[in-house]
Amino acid sequence: MGQYLPIIVLAVLAALFGVMTLAASHLLAPRRPSDAKEAPYECGIVPSREPPERFPVNFYIVAMLFIMFDIEIIFLYPYAIGRENLGVYGFVAIMIFSVLFFLTFVYEVARGGLDWGPVHRSRDLSADADIVSPERTSASTVRHVGLDGRPAGEEAA
Amino acid sequence: MIAQPVSTFTGPEIDWYALSPLLVLVAAAVALLVAGALTPPWPKGGYAIVTVGAATASAVLAIIQWQNISDDGPSTLVAGAVSFDLSAMFFTITICVAVALVALLTDDFLRRQALDGPEFYALYLVAAAGGIVMASANDLIVLFLGVETLSLALYVLAAADRRRSKSQESGLKYFVLGSFSSAFLLYGIALVYGATGSTNITRVVVYLQESVPLERFDALLLTGVALMMVGLAFKIAAAPFHVWTPDVYEGAPSPVSAFMASAGKVAAFGALVRVLIVALPFYREDWQPVVWVLALVSLVVGSVLAVVQTNVKRLLAYSSINHVGFVLVGIESAAHRAGAVDSGPGVPSVGVYLLAYTVMVIGSFGVVAIASRSGDDATSLDSFRGFATRRPVLAVAFTVFLLAQAGVPFTSGFIAKFGVVQAAVEERSYAIALIAMLTSVVAAFLYLRIIVTMWMSEPDDASVELAGAGTSNSWTGTLSIGLAAGFTVAVGIVPGWLLDAADDLTQFAR
Repeated sequence: MGQYLPIIVLAVLAALFGVMTLAASHLLAPRRPSDAKEAPYECGIVPSREPPERFPVNFYIVAMLFIMFDIEIIFLYPYAIGRENLGVYGFVAIMIFSVLFFLTFVYEVARGGLDWGPVHRSRDLSADADIVSPERTSASTVRHVGLDGRPAGEEAA
Repeated sequence: MIAQPVSTFTGPEIDWYALSPLLVLVAAAVALLVAGALTPPWPKGGYAIVTVGAATASAVLAIIQWQNISDDGPSTLVAGAVSFDLSAMFFTITICVAVALVALLTDDFLRRQALDGPEFYALYLVAAAGGIVMASANDLIVLFLGVETLSLALYVLAAADRRRSKSQESGLKYFVLGSFSSAFLLYGIALVYGATGSTNITRVVVYLQESVPLERFDALLLTGVALMMVGLAFKIAAAPFHVWTPDVYEGAPSPVSAFMASAGKVAAFGALVRVLIVALPFYREDWQPVVWVLALVSLVVGSVLAVVQTNVKRLLAYSSINHVGFVLVGIESAAHRAGAVDSGPGVPSVGVYLLAYTVMVIGSFGVVAIASRSGDDATSLDSFRGFATRRPVLAVAFTVFLLAQAGVPFTSGFIAKFGVVQAAVEERSYAIALIAMLTSVVAAFLYLRIIVTMWMSEPDDASVELAGAGTSNSWTGTLSIGLAAGFTVAVGIVPGWLLDAADDLTQFAR
């Protein structure tokens, strides 16, 4: 049990520190509440408008990419240092890992992980065939202003 | 100048061929994901066909390995990290069957939802690879890696129906509770490591064999065993660790529920067999009563609470808890001879039960998936009123699956239930065998309730409305349900080959 003593002492000290800090700030701090201090996420400035409710989540995909590269680096550096000792086995293992990693990266980019800005989706036009048919030209669909090209007799109308 | 260390590291020898069932699944998952992302949407059913092909290839390779193991005896791979024995191959084949059937159902489901994409299938394949690692692990850390690979894929799959908030809810619940239980498992592994000095199952067994009982760290080890059992009991959804099951199965897309109820449980039971029967036979007097109680509570809770459900998916979830109780009866009877050279009829009965249960539960959820139409939410019991007049063939298939789950003769369910009860009687666990049979009578009531609703009640206004558009299904769904129904009946009538194959599941790699 003796070997656990430092952990217990540390736990007691941590708890004491937390309780004492709270108690001290409760007893010593002057209380002068104001709007700015009462606001959530207080930073001294009164918020002038509600935060936007919807925001693009592209950042989390970038964060995912970051974690992926992070993990690859975590494994590559130790391999680079221990490469001579790890031999062919280590090389094969790190190659399998790198290929799998690269393919997941390809997947993410192919699925639009790095496309920024408004989304452009390719659309199937077969449903709109009559709108995009070659018979419809600017002469057949746009009503011309002026007398050019108008059938005679329409002038009166 | 840094002194160059002398190279002392030699990598373990890797038998790629023996690992091939696993490698095929992983390679297919990665290939499907990358090729699917780089190419325009494939023709209908393309992703599912590739998935079924990969699962079939993996199962065929596992059958070839089965022959090799029968000839040469069990062994371990990758420096003792993975065991290469018949039970590992049996669980591999069962999981591959689950992947193939569920992939076909998923294709049908995704066409109705207009959500087709390779991600579902890639996640199934990855989850299957994780499940196989779990069921064939010979090292507790490898086992944990398998648990995480399976679970992470299942969390995503449960939330995969992006348009239904219930699916999101189910994914989040499963994620929070599942990671909690993984932590229990990991803590248990750490304590067992502390007590025995190794996470390798072979070395744990050797240590327990050679050490004097007084020198062992029993308190540490037993706490570790208890924590690991909590973690695994959560994964198999044994009561009282079952609370997540109805919510998650109800909210998840129906094919995913089928996959969780089949492959997820098969893998977790494989892991449970490894941990309890292979690694810890010396402590069976300590863990056997725990398994007994888990079996009892699962049997009772699963059957009794299922009776009051009004949603078919929740009802099937509770019935799956009842099935878990039955499989635990098999594990309990295997415990009597754990560690012996011939471990008795317990493990074979567990294997047969899991294979039969996998097929019939996938069939049941498959019918529910088709019956619940494009929204995947018409799953109340009332929406099955007059189902037999709307879709007579599907109703017949559903009846077969439900009768099989109830354990009616001439279905695979009877063979499975008979097997575990017989194993329990053979090992003189009369009490739990009797309780299992009594609860199966209670459970029969709930299966009959669905059957009566389908065949005998008049359709009301709501179910007449359901008869309209959106109930059609594609050939993939029909094929999957047809194969499942065919297997259920075929094994019920000609069970000999399956029982003979499972009889060999008694020798484990150590």
